[in-house]
Amino acid sequence: MVYITSWDDFVEKSVQLFRADPEKTRYGMKYRHCDGKLVLKVTDDRECIKFKTDQAQDAKKMEKLNNIFFTLMARGPEGNIVSRDYFTNQLIYPMQMSPFIYLFLVNRDV
Amino acid sequence: MGSEVRLQPDPFLNELTNMFERTTEKGSVWVTLKHSSDKSKVQRNKMKTCGEKIEYRCLVRATDGKKTISTLVGPKDHQRFQASYATILKARMTALRKRERKDKRKAADSDKKEDSKIRSTASKTTN
Repeated sequence: MVYITSWDDFVEKSVQLFRADPEKTRYGMKYRHCDGKLVLKVTDDRECIKFKTDQAQDAKKMEKLNNIFFTLMARGPEGNIVSRDYFTNQLIYPMQMSPFIYLFLVNRDV
Repeated sequence: MGSEVRLQPDPFLNELTNMFERTTEKGSVWVTLKHSSDKSKVQRNKMKTCGEKIEYRCLVRATDGKKTISTLVGPKDHQRFQASYATILKARMTALRKRERKDKRKAADSDKKEDSKIRSTASKTTN
């Protein structure tokens, strides 16, 4: 089990794990109000990565990761989370994130 | 831990809110997301051999260590669900530390964005 300190690294590794094994990988959050602590965990039962924080700004970042996983898990690993604007044909990203993450996420048909 | 209770998405969100409410003094809330067919391995194998399409959803589980609830969210309803979910978390996860402001003049106002402000009706003093 590894605690990852860089948020972007945590996100990248999380999505990697999911893409590699969409059936096993799960994404969990543990929140303790009494301690003001938040811990995120992603595991495929082989590897386990965690991110812990007591900062409110990380809760905002987590919201974006939640949306990524809701989309991936509700639609399936092949599902697009990036779409194209009908009029401008520009790619629309659901959230602002480190750009390289989209190497893992953009479906080649988009 | 008791057995898991499967709920529709909206009752799930209501019960999740209750879980947060119950655990402010002590305890934890765990929420887990998983890509799931909601079928056993035996059922899945059977369907695979028949060439039957297995549908997947996002399985959302929440627990406070005593009670466990779950719901399934599909491609058509996940956007609405994730928006409601985000609202709940934003309202409930208030014990995390906000960043300290370096500007002294704003120090009195920092960390109070979400609290209701009681404005003094007395005359304002200038700094």
